[in-house]
Amino acid sequence: MKARRTAAPLDVANAHFIEGGVSVIVATRDAGLVPEAIRACGCRVSRDRRRVTVLVDRTRADAVVADLAANGRIAVVFSQPSTHRTIQLKGDDASVVSPKPSDRTLVAAHRDQWLQELCSIGYARGFAEALWGRLPAALVAIAFSPSAAFQQTPGPGAGQPIERPP
Amino acid sequence: MNLSLKSIRACLEGAVPAVIATCARDGTPNVSYVSEVHFVDAEHVALSFQFFSKTRENVLANPRATVVVAHPETGVQYRLAVRYLRTEDSGPLFDCMKAKLAGIASHSGMNGVFRLRGSDIYRVESVREVPGTSSSIAPSEPVGLAEVRCSMARLSGAHDLAGLVDGLLDELERRFGVSHAMVLMLDPARNTLYSVASRGYAESGVGAELRPGEGLIGAAALARIPIRISHATSEFGYGRAMRNDAARRGVTAGIEHEIPFPGLPESQSQIAVPILAGDRLLGVLFAESTQTARFGYDEEDAFATLANHVGAMAALLGEDAEPHEEPVRHTRVPVAASGMPISVRHYAENDSVFVGEDYLIKGVAGAILWRLLRRHAEEGRADHTNRELRLDPAIRLPDLSENLEARLILLTRRLEERCPSLRIEKTGRGRFRFHVLRPVTLHEVPR
Repeated sequence: MKARRTAAPLDVANAHFIEGGVSVIVATRDAGLVPEAIRACGCRVSRDRRRVTVLVDRTRADAVVADLAANGRIAVVFSQPSTHRTIQLKGDDASVVSPKPSDRTLVAAHRDQWLQELCSIGYARGFAEALWGRLPAALVAIAFSPSAAFQQTPGPGAGQPIERPP
Repeated sequence: MNLSLKSIRACLEGAVPAVIATCARDGTPNVSYVSEVHFVDAEHVALSFQFFSKTRENVLANPRATVVVAHPETGVQYRLAVRYLRTEDSGPLFDCMKAKLAGIASHSGMNGVFRLRGSDIYRVESVREVPGTSSSIAPSEPVGLAEVRCSMARLSGAHDLAGLVDGLLDELERRFGVSHAMVLMLDPARNTLYSVASRGYAESGVGAELRPGEGLIGAAALARIPIRISHATSEFGYGRAMRNDAARRGVTAGIEHEIPFPGLPESQSQIAVPILAGDRLLGVLFAESTQTARFGYDEEDAFATLANHVGAMAALLGEDAEPHEEPVRHTRVPVAASGMPISVRHYAENDSVFVGEDYLIKGVAGAILWRLLRRHAEEGRADHTNRELRLDPAIRLPDLSENLEARLILLTRRLEERCPSLRIEKTGRGRFRFHVLRPVTLHEVPR
C-alpha cells in the first residue's frame, strides 16, 4: 500500500499529538545516502495543518542543516513514552527557517510536558532532565510539508500509512 | 572524538529506547525506535528484527545507518555510525536477544507483540557523543576485576561442591551486593534443574525443580549463555513456569509434593548464568533484585567468570573426590536415638520419601536417604562413603561425581530444614556420617 504523496493536512488529533510532550527525532541524509538522526526539542503545526516546524538545538544540528540545504528530505518520528503511540512524518521540502520569538517558550513548555511524561512512567526527574539535555542557547527551526504519515506504534501494524481526509 | 564501543556498553541496555535512522535507495530517510541494541563485541552491535519494517527494507538495500543511544544513568547521548552486515536466526546471540526481548515486551505491557525473527548484525564504524547532552550525573562505579579476582581466590579454597556453591553465593553478596540468589544443579538423567542453595528468601526452596527451557533460568541452561533482564517479566517468570509445571505434573503417590520455588514477588532485574565445566552444563547461578536495571554487562561478565570458575573447580574436585583406596571402618551408631519415633515412608515408584505426612524428597536423593535409613536399621551403620553410594545398584546414579555431591548437598539441606532428627555430617573427602537422633519406623510402598 503506497502512502499518499499529496500534501493533505494532518488531522486534528495527530496535529495535537505531535505538539504535545512527545519525543521528537529528526532524520536526514547526505548525498551518499548516509542518514543522520538528532533529538528535537519541540514542534509546532501551522493553522492549516499543512506545515510542521520542528525545533532543534543548534549545537547538534550541523549535519542536519547541511543535509537539508542539499536535498530537503526529512523524516520525523513522534512518540509518547507512556503509551508508545508513535507516528512518523516524511517530507521532501524541508528547510531551515527563522525561529519565532515564541519558540523559546514553546521549547520550555515541551521540556516540562516531556519530563512529566517520563516521570509518570517511573524515570527519575534528574535523569529525565539529563536525557532532555540543556535548554538550547540557540535554536534551529526546520519547516516542511508532510507528504506522508505513518502509524508506527510498535506492533504488526507499524509502518502502515495514516489515511488522511482528501 | 571517536569513542570505543566498549566504553559506552552501558548505553546498550535498553533503559532508554534507541533510535535508528536509515535511508532508502530513492533517498527517503526513515527513523524508528528499536527495542534493543545488543552489544556483540568491541566492533559489532545487533539489532532485533521483529517485523518486516521500513528500517529493515532500507538496510538490506543501503547498509549505512545511524543509531542514537543514551546512557542509562547520565542521560548522555551517543551517535553510532553503523553498517548492516547480516542476519542470524539461531545460535547463542539470537537466543539471548530473544530472552531479553521477552523481558522488555512484558515490561511494556506488550506480551506477544514482540517476537524475535532474527538478530541483525551491524559493524560500528564510529561512536561520538551528541553535542549538548553532557550531564552532571556521574555514572556508578563499574564492577571491577579486583572484586572478581578476590572472589575467585576465595572460591579456589573450597574443598567440596557445597563449599563452592555457598562460597559463590557469599561472594555475590559480599562483593557485588547481591541479596537474592540461588544455585541450581542439573540432573542430566531426568533433564531437570534443582536448587541446592539460596540466599535472601524466606523459604530456601532447596530441592525446587524446573526444566531447561523453562523461565529465565531454564532458557540460560538450554542456551548455555547468561541471560538477564532489566525489568520484571511474566513471560519468562520462573515462578509462573514453576507453578504451571507443578500443575501439569500433578501429584504423584497421591500427594502433592513439589517444593515451592523461592522468588521475589517484586523482582525487577534478573540474571541467570550457566555454570559450565568445559562444554558440560553443571547448573545455573540465578540472582534477582527489586531494583530495575540492577545487573548490567559488567555484572554479567563478573558472574559468568565466577560461574565458569566454579564449574571448573567442581569438575576438578569431582575428579579426586573419592580416593580409590579407602579404609573401610564402619563405626556403630554413635548416638542412641531417643524421643518420639518418626515414621518414614518410601515410594518405590519415584523414590519419594515422606516423614509423617510431609513430603521430604524424591529421586536419587530420596533413594540415597532410604538406603541410609535401611543400613542404619538393618546393620546399625552410620559411616558411609560416596564411593559405596555410587556403586550401589539401588541408587541408580548417573556416573558423574558432582551429581552425587549435589544430591548429598540437597539431601543434607532438606533434612536440616524439614527433618532435623536425621542429619548428614561430612567427615572427610568423599565420606560422611548419618545421624539418626530419634527412633525411626520405615514403611516401603512398592511400585
